[in-house]
Amino acid sequence: METQTGKPLVEMRGVFKAFGGVHAVEDVDVTLHAGEVVAVLGHNGAGKSTLMKMLAGAYRRDAGSVHIDGKAAELASPAEAFELGIETIHQTLALADNLDATANLFLGREIAWRVGPFRIMDSARMRDVAAKVISQLNPRFTNLNTPCRDLSGGQRQTIAIARAIHFEAHVLIMDEPTAALGPHETAMVADLIRELKSKGIGIFLISHDIHDVFDLADRVVVMKNGQVVGTANTSDVSQDDVLGMIILGKCPEGAIPGPGARSNPQ
Amino acid sequence: MKRRTLMSLMAGLSMSALLTAPALAADITVGMSWANYQEERWKIDESGLRAGLEEMGATLVTADAQSSNERQASDIDGLLARGVDALLIVAWDSEAVIPSVERALAEGIPVIAYERQIEYPGVFYVAFDPVEVGRIQARELVKVQPKGDYVIIKGSPTDQYAHYVLTGQKEIIDPLIDNGDIKIVGEQWTDGWVPDNAQKNMENILTAVNDKVDAVLASNDGTAGGVVAALSSVGLEGIPVSGQDGDIAALNRIALGSQTVTAWKDARELGRLGAKVAAALASGTAPEEIEGAVVWDKGPKGTAQNAAVLAPVTITRDNLDVVLDADWISKEDLCAGVTDNAPDACK
Amino acid sequence: MTTESLDPPAMNVAPRDSGFNVRTLSLVGLLFVIAVTFHLLSGGLFLTARNLYNIVVQTSVVAILACGMTIVIVTRNIDLSVGSVLGCVGMVIALLQIQIFPQEAAWNWPLTVVIGLALGALIGAWHGFWIAYLGVPSFVVTLGGLLIFRGAAFEVAQGKTLAPFDPIYRLFGGGIDGALGVGPSWMLFVVIMVLYGLGEILVHRRQTRLGFHSKARAKVLRFALVLVAAAAFVATMNSYLKPRSDIGRGVPIPALVLLSVVLFMEFVTRFTTFGRYIFAIGGNIDAARLNGIPTRRTVLVAFITMGVLCAIAAVVTTARLNAGTSSTGELLELSAIAAAVIGGASLSGGRGTIAGAVVGALIIQSLESGMVLIGASSSQRMVAIGLVLMAAVFADKYLSGEE
Ligand SMILES: Nc1ncnc2c1ncn2[C@@H]1O[C@H](COP(=O)(O)OP(=O)(O)O)[C@@H](O)[C@H]1O
Ligand SMILES: [Mg+2]
Repeated sequence: METQTGKPLVEMRGVFKAFGGVHAVEDVDVTLHAGEVVAVLGHNGAGKSTLMKMLAGAYRRDAGSVHIDGKAAELASPAEAFELGIETIHQTLALADNLDATANLFLGREIAWRVGPFRIMDSARMRDVAAKVISQLNPRFTNLNTPCRDLSGGQRQTIAIARAIHFEAHVLIMDEPTAALGPHETAMVADLIRELKSKGIGIFLISHDIHDVFDLADRVVVMKNGQVVGTANTSDVSQDDVLGMIILGKCPEGAIPGPGARSNPQ
Repeated sequence: MKRRTLMSLMAGLSMSALLTAPALAADITVGMSWANYQEERWKIDESGLRAGLEEMGATLVTADAQSSNERQASDIDGLLARGVDALLIVAWDSEAVIPSVERALAEGIPVIAYERQIEYPGVFYVAFDPVEVGRIQARELVKVQPKGDYVIIKGSPTDQYAHYVLTGQKEIIDPLIDNGDIKIVGEQWTDGWVPDNAQKNMENILTAVNDKVDAVLASNDGTAGGVVAALSSVGLEGIPVSGQDGDIAALNRIALGSQTVTAWKDARELGRLGAKVAAALASGTAPEEIEGAVVWDKGPKGTAQNAAVLAPVTITRDNLDVVLDADWISKEDLCAGVTDNAPDACK
Repeated sequence: MTTESLDPPAMNVAPRDSGFNVRTLSLVGLLFVIAVTFHLLSGGLFLTARNLYNIVVQTSVVAILACGMTIVIVTRNIDLSVGSVLGCVGMVIALLQIQIFPQEAAWNWPLTVVIGLALGALIGAWHGFWIAYLGVPSFVVTLGGLLIFRGAAFEVAQGKTLAPFDPIYRLFGGGIDGALGVGPSWMLFVVIMVLYGLGEILVHRRQTRLGFHSKARAKVLRFALVLVAAAAFVATMNSYLKPRSDIGRGVPIPALVLLSVVLFMEFVTRFTTFGRYIFAIGGNIDAARLNGIPTRRTVLVAFITMGVLCAIAAVVTTARLNAGTSSTGELLELSAIAAAVIGGASLSGGRGTIAGAVVGALIIQSLESGMVLIGASSSQRMVAIGLVLMAAVFADKYLSGEE
């Protein structure tokens, strides 16, 4: 039923991750194509963030394979994911609250000259770039020298999004990007997702807002207890079907059942 | 033997009496509970203790508490279980050790607090006289600088020993302060006896009195080192400074002329004294009958105890040969850097 | 993405350049108040060339340690071992220089310094490894280090005091000849001010080219203030004469060592990615990790830096005392932590400045020295410093509006 053809941008096969005795992610297969938005859904604790963090290089998977653009990827560190063009807007935003917007935008990837053992930062250039990227997203966000702890939820979110844009993601992971936002800002994020999609970027979107999901996503992947309940094109299923998948683990017609689908006693 | 005679002369009556006391102590076993045998000086004590006991035919068993109260308690139990006839203790914590002391005394085993006072009735105390240390320091400074502005660099304020030393210093100089010969222009404790602290204090005192200082009563050789460093940075090196311990660096300073005196405590002699007292008590001599025994009641609680105290040896540039003859220091270390105006010992 | 109606109007201010650090300036103000108070109480002894010279020399060791302590604290760690490491490295240097290597050899003291620095780095790496790679809390690891290296300091020479050091080595301690002298002190002043001025001009040019509004006025004012303060400092050090002579001493070598450490550490914390990373780690270690910062290596390097600074401080301390003793540096960890904290380092991580730490060390030493000048006892000094520590942290919290 995958309408997309050609090589997938991301292909995760048989991925496992356990924390102690907790099987956070169990035998998960997902794919993502260029210009596609795939929503990953499920209750809190279903394993969505863990799955995405493995793709972001933040956690190492226990088993399974990941191919990016058809090439096997180890994804041993965030740096490796960055190199492969995988950017993540983490659920926590991953901001250092004591640093300002510019510092956070470039965190870990500063523009710097190497001099002997030191990497001397080009602060003026970074400030310049940050001002441009951020004003593109939010023209009124100009207090770039203010520590993040003194910024609003929307501004903090802007910084996290600006990172993904500036570093030119091919694959963008958005883990509950609108959780801290008001309705107006949420709409802005939706516009942004459409824009990025039109540029051919593949997006994993984790969200609890089923309306948004149907609005934006091409496909949904529903997880429960670390396993995939099912995968479906949003055009093939109804919102109630998807809610049934999330809540009951019941895979409807029009969806491809995963290992986590409740066996249907019919 | 020359050394022995000289030492006993200087160490005073109490010691010479003890050294000549005849003892027959075969079949006696003496226990020693060290607080922390890692510290180098106790090895020197032990050599004197062992030699003293062997001469009398007695045996020594030891245990090392390695800086732990609990281990010292079990060490003492172990020594008692081995049936020692007398027990020497270098207390790690002179209060915490008291329950163990009580057990030993209850078994009728004489207990001797060695070097560190255990202030408890019935415990015999054997140590270098810390008050005498202070007297020696002050006496020698007054000899070369009978009048003038004095600074006192005291030891650690939390160490009872430092207070004893100060008591001795004051005994000598208080009359001279009263008659106006000596004026104390600065006085500071040295936290933890740390030489760097003594140096800073001395520098600041020198600023306060604009370098008008004639002599410095430093309480040990470490603080004396700090004082001399402070003096040398304002070109005052050479004014009278006291110390104690006979540190190699301090003896060298005495040879060089930047320190006046150190009160030297030859730990081997204290070991021998401990051996005598232990053997005597073990063979039933009453504590107050022990030759040279005095009543010591200068502790913080004022408890009266029988004690045998050893006077430290005064070392100045005139008798540096004493430390050489005792193999305490090599001539090379003693005389390092000494050129003009060498003391006799370096000639 | 725009709803923020509270944003201030756009103003392109250059990065990390608000002109002055208000916090450090208010600490300088406090220092000034302390100085004037003691000057009056001591009958005019405090603000004299001689006393200021002493304070500078006496502060150098704690200030060097406080610079390292600041970056350790910024990473949300602590180092309780610095006094012991200083003592241990100092003893090793003393043993090598005085007892093992031939006294007359010209290479003796330089080699012992190099070995000392390497040993400091090694000890720092040892602590850093336990903390960053084995995940043992720094409080525990360095508490262990406090015991281990104090014990080791004793073992090196079985508790003996070792002396004397090589005369050239002793210059690091600032004794009677351990200062630059009048002429070289002024030369140093000129060189540093020229470099500083050039640096400011370069930064200004670059910022202007990128279209920022660079606060030129504030910068000129700042430069002028630094110029006057530095000139006053050099003139003061030069006016303290050697005994029985009219030869000025000049900038003491320990102050020069401290100056080098401060410039280096300011450079590292402000301008390098390492500096950025230690702040990020202290602010939010998870965020640092998710952004690909090598958090373990960064913490390891922070502790190695601390170890090297302990070794530098050991050189100054032993050279100053002209002896290696097993108790050298005892309790210095507390002064170093206090200086860093008074200087604005936050024990919850992510905040602190090198300049602040140095001013913090100066405040502590000024209190110590000032109270000796007025004849106060060491116990009274402890009370005073304890109160200032608490008041400084309270004022900081109150002024910065934290709850
Ligand atoms: N770092 C971790 N250590 C231990 N358990 C974790 C960790 N991260 C996630 N988990 C556990 O894994 C499961 C899945 O969590 P998560 O991926 O955050 O779920 P979701 O994002 O779908 O809400 C939960 O049971 C959670 O408690
Ligand atoms: Mg989640």
